[in-house]
Amino acid sequence: MTADDLIRSARAAGRSSLDESAGKRLLAQFGIAVPSSVMVAPDEPAGPKLTGLRAPFVVKVVSPDILHKSDAGGVRVGITDSTQVDAAIRAMCAHPVIAKARLDGFLVEEMAPPGEELVVGGLKDPQFGPLVMVGLGGIFVEVMQDVAFRIAPIERIDAHEMLSELKAAALLDGARGRAPVCREALIDVLLRVGGAGGLLLRLHDDIAEADLNPVIVSERGAVAVDARFILTPEGGK
Amino acid sequence: MSTANDILASFEPLFAPKTIAVVGASATTLAAANTFIRRMREFGYPGRIFPIHPNADAVDGLPAFRSVAQTPEPIDYLYISVAAKHVPKMLAEANGRVRFAQVISSGFGEVDEGKALQEDLVRAARAGGVRLLGPNCLGMYSPRGRVTFVEGGSVEVGTVGVISQSGGLGTDIVRRGQARGLRFSAAVTVGNSADLGPADLLEYYLADPQTRVIGIYLEAARDGRRMFELLKAQRAAKPVVILKGGRTQQGRMAAASHTGALAGDDRVWVALSRQTGCLLVDTLDQFLDTLLVFQALTPRASAPTREIVMFGNGGGTSVLATDLFSRLGLQVTPFAATTLAALRALKLPPGSSITNPIDTPVGTLQQDEGRIAEKILDAIFANADPQALVMHLNMAAFVGRTRGDVLGNLMQAALRVQSRYPGRAHFVLALRSDGWPEVEARKREFRDQALALGIPVYDEMMNVGWALAALAQHERFVASRRASP
Repeated sequence: MTADDLIRSARAAGRSSLDESAGKRLLAQFGIAVPSSVMVAPDEPAGPKLTGLRAPFVVKVVSPDILHKSDAGGVRVGITDSTQVDAAIRAMCAHPVIAKARLDGFLVEEMAPPGEELVVGGLKDPQFGPLVMVGLGGIFVEVMQDVAFRIAPIERIDAHEMLSELKAAALLDGARGRAPVCREALIDVLLRVGGAGGLLLRLHDDIAEADLNPVIVSERGAVAVDARFILTPEGGK
Repeated sequence: MSTANDILASFEPLFAPKTIAVVGASATTLAAANTFIRRMREFGYPGRIFPIHPNADAVDGLPAFRSVAQTPEPIDYLYISVAAKHVPKMLAEANGRVRFAQVISSGFGEVDEGKALQEDLVRAARAGGVRLLGPNCLGMYSPRGRVTFVEGGSVEVGTVGVISQSGGLGTDIVRRGQARGLRFSAAVTVGNSADLGPADLLEYYLADPQTRVIGIYLEAARDGRRMFELLKAQRAAKPVVILKGGRTQQGRMAAASHTGALAGDDRVWVALSRQTGCLLVDTLDQFLDTLLVFQALTPRASAPTREIVMFGNGGGTSVLATDLFSRLGLQVTPFAATTLAALRALKLPPGSSITNPIDTPVGTLQQDEGRIAEKILDAIFANADPQALVMHLNMAAFVGRTRGDVLGNLMQAALRVQSRYPGRAHFVLALRSDGWPEVEARKREFRDQALALGIPVYDEMMNVGWALAALAQHERFVASRRASP
């Protein structure tokens, strides 16, 4: 499905956002790395679908009724084989919040290699149009509000400057004995989201907010591990 | 996309109108529009002025006309200051005979009950073929067209182009700016910006060869996207200084009740500045100080301002300024051994400090008609490579000294040294006063003398710091964007 198809089918289903699976397919359309994954139905044995995926896995619930998957008990990490996947899905289905929700299924995906967790976001400013944002994940975004904004489209130098602007930028360079992350991979993500021809400008009629949280950046690359897209009210603009 | 020439041509009737009509001047009392007519005459406006009046035959000694449709010639600039409800009908009658109308009247979109009326106003202007400025503004100042809304605006045509969403602040910008040495290519108050807005005038100033630096006071930016695109495309070819009101939540509430549109989130303004190189300032003084630095100095992207030599009388002032400059990213680095040796060789009288900052009593500076200062500066430039020289003088030390033209000698010395090392360092002067009348008088005299030589003059080192930090930011931005593909 193309980006437009993904949005059209979400709208056709009466949804105001893209689910995680659709969101990641949208990112892949724009060349942003997402973990390899499969969708598994609630009562389906996962085994046959997992060939081609490499453990360890993450299992996540996909439901239009559940926006905060972790809070709802809908995320399990570090799963090593198909038996554990089936068990994780059964356990989630028994969870009170998930039991009441409409279920699209469960996303089983490869765990991203460890690295720094960043947030890449987008939102539509009423005066300036699409804005792109980056920050380090967790407390840096939520408590310190240590984020950098730019108006789309950004250029490569803008993306560089956004990272340098973060107070926690030193963490990207390998503070506290860790390996420095691949800044170029992160800059590529920012450009694919907020650059000329990037996701935010191409889809500015349809995307009200984008949230790639987290993007895990290691020495070798950047992977968007979760993605949410809030659609503009029907009719765009 | 219109070319620069199209843009200049389309705004020519506004900035140099051949004919002006005035709505709202009284035949019997003194209304705002009468004051406008008087100012236009005093300012030497060369064209014809047509008062529009419902029944008087003459206003302020000029023949009056019943409507804008009845003037003997088409109208380039129409000034309207009557009750809001009468304005739309007047514009609808223009019938293509009016190029620009500036609506001073308030009671439109800035208040809830006027929002519908503002929509009527825009529709009427479109129907009448008129481009609209305002409503809820004060007017326009264009020295080359001899049009002014400001009392006492200079007839000298300068290089600073101003856009102000507030009328009152527009007056402050022109008058206070002029007192500090600013000279304007034009200043336009745009109020509610119902038709033409800040982005339209920004586009004009970017195209206008007379304008070398642009200052904008903004409260709301409905045309923010276009401003961003214009600023991004010009890649800081002309410095643009933005004083944005309503960047805090409380300020936004004040702004909302003022101009009637919600201002954007502060972060977007920081973003705008970082990626287009425009300079954000927080106060009117910073705004004027920054405009002055760009009016007087030519930015040097090849060597962005960083190392500063501070030279003057006043040790404590130098220390405090060194701290402040450091916080602003400017360095007052002590001289290296070779520079110090050259300065020591001058055998300055006791009481002078020759590390950077250089602190010298006025008595020393005055010796030999300022030649001591010239020798000091020569020694510095021959051995060190600062990007700016800041001279600061405590004016109190000059009062009562009548012997010789101390300041003239000092400035000439600095300019001679500057010309021996062309393209090396910006030269900025701070004339510090304690506010006593005789000191203020001396300072005024010194300031005029310095401005006549094209030297930017500031009140305090703080103001110098702001201005140089803004200059440095601009220079660094231009350098970074030149280097990038």
